[in-house]
Amino acid sequence: MNIKQLTQDAGLKLKLYLATLGEPLDKAHEVTSAGDAGLRSGELSELTIITDLKPDGARNLRTIFETLKGNLTGARKVGTLHDMRFVFLENDTKLLFCTCYDGDWDTYINDFATKIPEMMDLIFGNIEGWPGIKSPTVKEFILSKQITASAWFVSHPNLTVADTTRLEKIGAGLNKLLEL
Amino acid sequence: MFLKNLFKRTAEKIALHDIQAIILRDRPLPYHGVNVFLEILNPASAKAFLKEIVPYVTSAKNWWDNNDAWLAIAFTYEGLKKLELPPSTLESFPDAFKKGMAARSEKLMDINENAPEKWDPVFKTTSNHIAVSITAKNLDDLNAKKTLALQVLEKYKGVKLCFQADFDTPIEGNFNHFGFRDGISNPEIEGSGAEQLNSKERPIKAGEFIMGYANEAGNHYPMPQPLEFARNGTFVIFRKYHSHVAAFNRYLQEQAKTKDEQELLAAKMVGRWRSGAPLNMCPFKDNAALGADTTKNNDFDFSNDQNGKLVPYSSHMRRMNPRNSKMAVMSDVNLHRIIRKGVGYGPALPNGSTKDDGKERGLYFIAFSAKAMETLEFLQREWVNSGNFMSLKNEKDPVIGLNEGKGTFTLPGEPLPKRFTGMPTFNTLKGGMYLFMPGINAIKWLSEL
Repeated sequence: MNIKQLTQDAGLKLKLYLATLGEPLDKAHEVTSAGDAGLRSGELSELTIITDLKPDGARNLRTIFETLKGNLTGARKVGTLHDMRFVFLENDTKLLFCTCYDGDWDTYINDFATKIPEMMDLIFGNIEGWPGIKSPTVKEFILSKQITASAWFVSHPNLTVADTTRLEKIGAGLNKLLEL
Repeated sequence: MFLKNLFKRTAEKIALHDIQAIILRDRPLPYHGVNVFLEILNPASAKAFLKEIVPYVTSAKNWWDNNDAWLAIAFTYEGLKKLELPPSTLESFPDAFKKGMAARSEKLMDINENAPEKWDPVFKTTSNHIAVSITAKNLDDLNAKKTLALQVLEKYKGVKLCFQADFDTPIEGNFNHFGFRDGISNPEIEGSGAEQLNSKERPIKAGEFIMGYANEAGNHYPMPQPLEFARNGTFVIFRKYHSHVAAFNRYLQEQAKTKDEQELLAAKMVGRWRSGAPLNMCPFKDNAALGADTTKNNDFDFSNDQNGKLVPYSSHMRRMNPRNSKMAVMSDVNLHRIIRKGVGYGPALPNGSTKDDGKERGLYFIAFSAKAMETLEFLQREWVNSGNFMSLKNEKDPVIGLNEGKGTFTLPGEPLPKRFTGMPTFNTLKGGMYLFMPGINAIKWLSEL
């Protein structure tokens, strides 16, 4: 590193300090590695993929998303998904896929293969090289496409989807009591 | 003798004559047995030993008849290396098997009290190469089979006996050390020639348990190469647990006043009364006749107990086989089943005692699956040491979870659930390893390499 870069870094750090007023970092929001790829924050992990689409891939996916009016309610039954995002890049030749979920993504990959194989292949079958959700190599394939985020923030790193659902119910029940 | 009251015959579609008996046979009641671990000093001598012992390895042919003593053989990865298998074969094993159970302790949540550093010295070595297990219905049969095996072993100086672990039914009548009927529920395997009488479960595809057959996804799990080595084989989970029976009895007394309340709490933690009778079939009182009736004591699911008021979500039985429970996380129960053939060791603690006598007693947990490493990691992380899949945050299994004095146990109730706290670990891990149990022809193949 040369003098110029050192000065530049020191300047950035000073500006960052001033911007945050030196606010201490909360350990609850620390991120660690989620294993072979991806970041983990508390109970949650992130998965980011940028990958080539098959020639008709974007068109197929758009048809699916438009039919659903962009409403992916069905994903709720997985029970560990906090969010999912599909973005087409570079003139519809590439897909950016981002998701946040509880635990490790590979824990339930076998369950996806028997519970929702049609849905998995209908969507991800538009990716170049997708081996099929039932393929023994699907884990390695996903891992090979994964790009680890450089920074990641989630508001409640210790609340899983199941926790949020339960707390929502408890809150609703309490409100009902208060309004009696 | 065909156990008519237990099984009904169905078509045989898997090679029972090549699959080892221990995988399918039920233990006799009572059972007696021995697990022996051998070290390989010289590969040629070890192969000659295997070649001579193969005829004594019992196949699963007519597995529903468990009258004769049976002998089983399995290998650790260290053992397969010592046997100088071709590098392409060694390389083809799944990573978790190659690394071994201790090296995967983080993935298995085998930490703190259960960490490999705390294991018995014999499980910290890399010299456990071949496991030989014999089970029999009485000591005479056991000793006869053991003598035969030892006679073969003595001829080969390249194989050394490392350690021997005897096992017996802990408490007369097939009860485990905690005083509960043992080994009731095992998955039914499609094409195994006999079906159990659980009308709520369907047989599971053979490929989930035995290599060379299609699994639930219609595929094959990763298996070692070549196919003739893998076919009809399976992976074995071997874990030694030390059972803290006095601590269990003490916990019941601290948490519940009357004897009846203590028994109910114990039953709620397990999911069954001591007799084996499931709580959902007799919620208020044990029913010894039902508990002993193997045609009835496992014939249920949880579809009529979705709020867990009869069998709590957190009970050991419901965690290990959620049987049509509505779960917070989408899970295919049939992918996470294992065949369990665990056995007890050590003398029983006097009935109900709350004072530890310092003696070693517990369970050799032995289980089989074609993807045993993956399944054990799943079970340990999701169903044993977490409660998220049943919306119970980080509550752990009350029986085998790593509770460390901080455990909770939640009983659903009206208007509020009841929560027990301060639960210690009742079963501590003292060692463990993964083994590969080949088909009988594969042992021959290996001995002739």
